[in-house]
Amino acid sequence: MYGFEALTFNIHGGYLEAVVRGHRSSLLTASDYNNLCQCETLDDIKMHLSATEYGPYLQNEPSPLHTTTIVEKCTLKLVDEYKHMLCQATEPLSTFLEYITYGHMIDNVVLIVTGTLHERDVQELLEKCHPLGMFDSIASLAVAQNMRELYRLVLVDTPLAPYFSECITSEDLDDMNIEIMRNTLYKAYLEDFYKFCKKLGGATAEIMTDLLAFEADKRAVNITINSIGTELTRDDRKKLYSNFGLLYPYGHEELAVCEDVDQVRAALEKYPAYQSIFAKLSYGESQMLDKAFYEEEVKRLCLAFEQQFHYGVFFAYMRLREQEIRNLMWISECVAQNQKSRVHDSVVFIF
Amino acid sequence: MWLSIKRGAQNFSSHLRSLDGLLGVHRSQIKIKFSVKTSRRIRHLIVKMSGQSQRLNVVPTVTMLGIMKARLVGATRGHALLKKKSDALTVQFRAILKKIVSTKESMGEIMKSSAFALTEAKYVAGENIKHIVLENVQNASLKVRSRQENVAGVKLPKFEYFTEGETKNDLTGLARGGQQVQQCRAAYVKAIEVLVELASLQTSFLTLDEAIKTTNRRVNALENVVKPRMENTITYIKGELDELEREDFFRLKKIQGYKKREIEKQMAAAKQYAEEQVAEKVSLKKGISINSAHNLLSKTVEKDEDIIF
Repeated sequence: MYGFEALTFNIHGGYLEAVVRGHRSSLLTASDYNNLCQCETLDDIKMHLSATEYGPYLQNEPSPLHTTTIVEKCTLKLVDEYKHMLCQATEPLSTFLEYITYGHMIDNVVLIVTGTLHERDVQELLEKCHPLGMFDSIASLAVAQNMRELYRLVLVDTPLAPYFSECITSEDLDDMNIEIMRNTLYKAYLEDFYKFCKKLGGATAEIMTDLLAFEADKRAVNITINSIGTELTRDDRKKLYSNFGLLYPYGHEELAVCEDVDQVRAALEKYPAYQSIFAKLSYGESQMLDKAFYEEEVKRLCLAFEQQFHYGVFFAYMRLREQEIRNLMWISECVAQNQKSRVHDSVVFIF
Repeated sequence: MWLSIKRGAQNFSSHLRSLDGLLGVHRSQIKIKFSVKTSRRIRHLIVKMSGQSQRLNVVPTVTMLGIMKARLVGATRGHALLKKKSDALTVQFRAILKKIVSTKESMGEIMKSSAFALTEAKYVAGENIKHIVLENVQNASLKVRSRQENVAGVKLPKFEYFTEGETKNDLTGLARGGQQVQQCRAAYVKAIEVLVELASLQTSFLTLDEAIKTTNRRVNALENVVKPRMENTITYIKGELDELEREDFFRLKKIQGYKKREIEKQMAAAKQYAEEQVAEKVSLKKGISINSAHNLLSKTVEKDEDIIF
């Protein structure tokens, strides 16, 4: 029932919502980012970060510090928080939390598949996987010798099994380009997540469908722009668009036939929500599109925290943390490579 | 004083004996050094005279003089040609040096910008983009080929890169970051271009350096060793020939002198004989043989058996 969550939500979800809101208030603010942007070396960054919640994770690192170490430790903090929440959660919140990480799981599975196909070492591959997307039977994927076995293994062992069986047959797995496979899986995942949220109903459904619709549209636009001039056919392109969102179905029709960034812009100007994004870019330029999308996403995620008693806050928090880690990576790289002038190009302030 | 003896020489003590007379130096002061000779057919003794450069020790004949003159002409021409080659190589060397300096500067810039392009790609497409791209690679699609270039007679290696095979990575980052990944790839291709060029410039630099050193060494050797040696040998041969001529002349003169004296002696003897004959004839007419009288007198000096006392 929409509107009456206040009565029953806190029984199961109250503790974790409080935890998440506490984490949210520890996200870095604009003044923190300003301080970080003024740093001259990576050691200065480490010093500033030790004053924030990242302190305990970074204080044991020996200098000279490396940018990848900073990112690793911050991700580790996110993983720890996530695991803590997952342990405490009950159904359906636990399923919801797991859904959030399926995106990373897909990336990891695809990475291991490509690596195994090219005969790389299993241990090396496992080290390169994203920690949020790890699951127990991931190592067994590396045992597969060819695509057929891989397909069988994947069906049995992974939580991603339904996505594989829906859209990909074993023959497809052989000839399909790895990127197309990744995007097909992701499309299936988004649609599944969308259905699940709708089933939950109430405020969760409203907020999550909104956020997921934005995600799907963002992916559709990116796929269109990035596949201009490649060998991806229009039909293949259309197959990768999710079947929900603002752009479904008419926007997708238009996007499928676009051959140029300006045509994409023309197609999207009919939707006022996305018009503002494209207004930030000048004609013919598409480099800063990704940053514009990130900014819009952050705005919507912050709005999710305005309401109480829904699961959207968890999703929003995870996404905001990831954006923060991206910001930190950008700042550290700029400082390390002596490109301080470009720092403000890509940092997205959360508050 | 040093003396080099050719291999297989026998009786070198006799050599010593003859040579020390020639050189005016006592045997004990001559030291012997065995060495391998340079010229292929003619094994020369190289004689070092104190305070001067060496000369080849050859038989001082007219033929040898002709041969030496021809060799001197050859050495002079060779020297001029090598000097020209050395100058041409030095010009190339300086040009390459200038190019290396400018290429290194631009390489610094390009590497910086390509590293930054990688950072942008990582920002948009996620940290794992590096691993995703690396795992998807089978063979290198940018390869380097080397070929030889001939510059003023020196073979310099030159590298150039070429793309072989297609990359299947056009669709990387399809859902996010594809643009940045392609830009990053373009930046790194440019970086590889500059690096390959720098590599070939540096190898040509080193090779040219070697070649210039060798050529200069040869020029100096010709100028300071071979040509003076030839000139000294020619001077020596000319001197010997002149001396031989003078000896011959002297000998001729001396023989002429002897011959003249011989003839005079014979003339004198003949004249005396003729006078004696005339005197004999005169005395015979008078009834006495002066000759026999003389003989009688002279004979009494010798013992005659018939005479008792």
